[in-house]
Amino acid sequence: MLAEQIVNGIVMGSLYALIAQGYTLVFGVLDKLNFAHGEIFMLGGYIGVSSVALGASIPLALLLVMIVCGALGLLVEFVSFRKFRSHDAHITSALSSFAFGLVVLDLVQKSWGTEPVAIELPQTLRVANLEFLGVHFSLVKLSILGIALVLMAALHLAIARTSLGRSIRAVAESATSASLYGINVTRVIQLVFLLASALAGFAGVALAIRTGFASSDVGFTLGIKALAIMAIGGMGDLRGAFLGGLMIGVLEALAFQWGFGQLADTGVWLFMIFVLLVRPTGLFAARSSKEARA
Amino acid sequence: MIQDYVMQTGVNILLAWSVYIILLSGSLSFANGGFMAIGAYVSAVLTVKFGVPLILAAVLAGGVAFLFGIGVAFPALRTRGLYLILVTVGIAASVRAMLESIDYVGGIQGFSGMSGASPWHVVALVVIVGAALWLLSRSRLQRILDAVREDELVAASMGINVLYLKLACFGAGAFIAAVAGSFYAHYILFVRPDEFGILASVYIVLYVVLGGMNNLWGALVGATIMTLAPELMRGLAQWRPTVFGLLIVVLLLVRPNGLLPFRIPTTGRAKRRAVKP
Repeated sequence: MLAEQIVNGIVMGSLYALIAQGYTLVFGVLDKLNFAHGEIFMLGGYIGVSSVALGASIPLALLLVMIVCGALGLLVEFVSFRKFRSHDAHITSALSSFAFGLVVLDLVQKSWGTEPVAIELPQTLRVANLEFLGVHFSLVKLSILGIALVLMAALHLAIARTSLGRSIRAVAESATSASLYGINVTRVIQLVFLLASALAGFAGVALAIRTGFASSDVGFTLGIKALAIMAIGGMGDLRGAFLGGLMIGVLEALAFQWGFGQLADTGVWLFMIFVLLVRPTGLFAARSSKEARA
Repeated sequence: MIQDYVMQTGVNILLAWSVYIILLSGSLSFANGGFMAIGAYVSAVLTVKFGVPLILAAVLAGGVAFLFGIGVAFPALRTRGLYLILVTVGIAASVRAMLESIDYVGGIQGFSGMSGASPWHVVALVVIVGAALWLLSRSRLQRILDAVREDELVAASMGINVLYLKLACFGAGAFIAAVAGSFYAHYILFVRPDEFGILASVYIVLYVVLGGMNNLWGALVGATIMTLAPELMRGLAQWRPTVFGLLIVVLLLVRPNGLLPFRIPTTGRAKRRAVKP
């Protein structure tokens, strides 16, 4: 029972980590918060549910979601961040992206209604189980965890090893110097929004598959919680967002197991405040300087 | 009907000013929805469970929020910029989540039984706070605050106690938000924790940013427009939230510094006084 809860926590934590990495990527290159991120994550779930209902296979649905959400991320960048590049404008872009999120939320509620929409999964997929050391693991959850881990590993490799990743790191370090070296800063920022939003979309579908339905309030509950997780892990630090997500996922599952489920939400926020006060670079930030970002 | 609009607008103006006061010292607070919640709940408990008169309860609730504001601001002010914003977001979220888990005030179901506030309470309060802010904007204290807001280090080197000022601003903002929350709760008759979460706080900040952060009229105009705009768009029926969101996006693009971005000059009177002798 305990082991199952821990696995559940890790699965949930990997989704938190995916969303938090989206926040952290944007924060890394722009030093700004993208409040539309949670709603893009929420939209991902609905698009996934609908494309499965229209007969798409799950991999196809995932691909579709990542394309649509990535495109929406580009739109957010264009509307809410392109004009507010200066350092003083971080409030303006945060509020603008927040309003963008409101529009997405409202349009989703218009198209799909305010009630959660169930996802139609093949029966064989839903009951498939794996037994290991006497503990049952649902295959769906394990594949979600697997794909999430693969995606995050790919992101990490792309940023650490490829030339595009090097451009992202350069812009995170200093946009002005990067542009002097011939890097197209706007393209890099667009790329970051594309990646962040595609990952959020994937997390949205994964959550819909895991819980069995897509719901319009997850953007504001889980989406905002991931913001706190990003700060706990270390703002602008990918590894921090990953470890922070897993840690909060497991702690939350344990809290529910031991009957403090009610306090889990408060706990995350208080923990974030504590971390920001005591160690503003985050719990897991590799290096305290800007080098650690993105 | 008209009364509802007056009440809503008045409460929102007060909330916008509560953010503006904190902003005077250079910190942006997303915690004011939480301060408002404390005001609403403390005053409601006082009037419903202990029979305290409304005005006294509102002032007491303001006092509690004042102490709470200073208590959370003292550690929070160790952080700067976006980090401080995140901490205040965290405060708003924690206050809401805590209220949800306290059964004494009804938990998620909410709390009811209070009554007795009229729009005139709020109008009177708007006039009082507005007058105080206007006097402040002409005073020496405003220039001290401007110095802190522009450059803390320079202000500190000129002998200004920066931390003390910032704490005072946080306390005053929390007080006003809480008193506004008290009257709001006693007018609407029923409060739930989820009315006061992060969403409420973001809206309050939005009033100030859309109106203009540099003078007290910006907050007033921003709060009024943002409260009444959804009502004016009644003809759009179900498209209201979408149009409202797009309106915010467009306004920020067209006027990123707010509708009224000017600063009220504070030096005029001082110059005159300097010339006199």
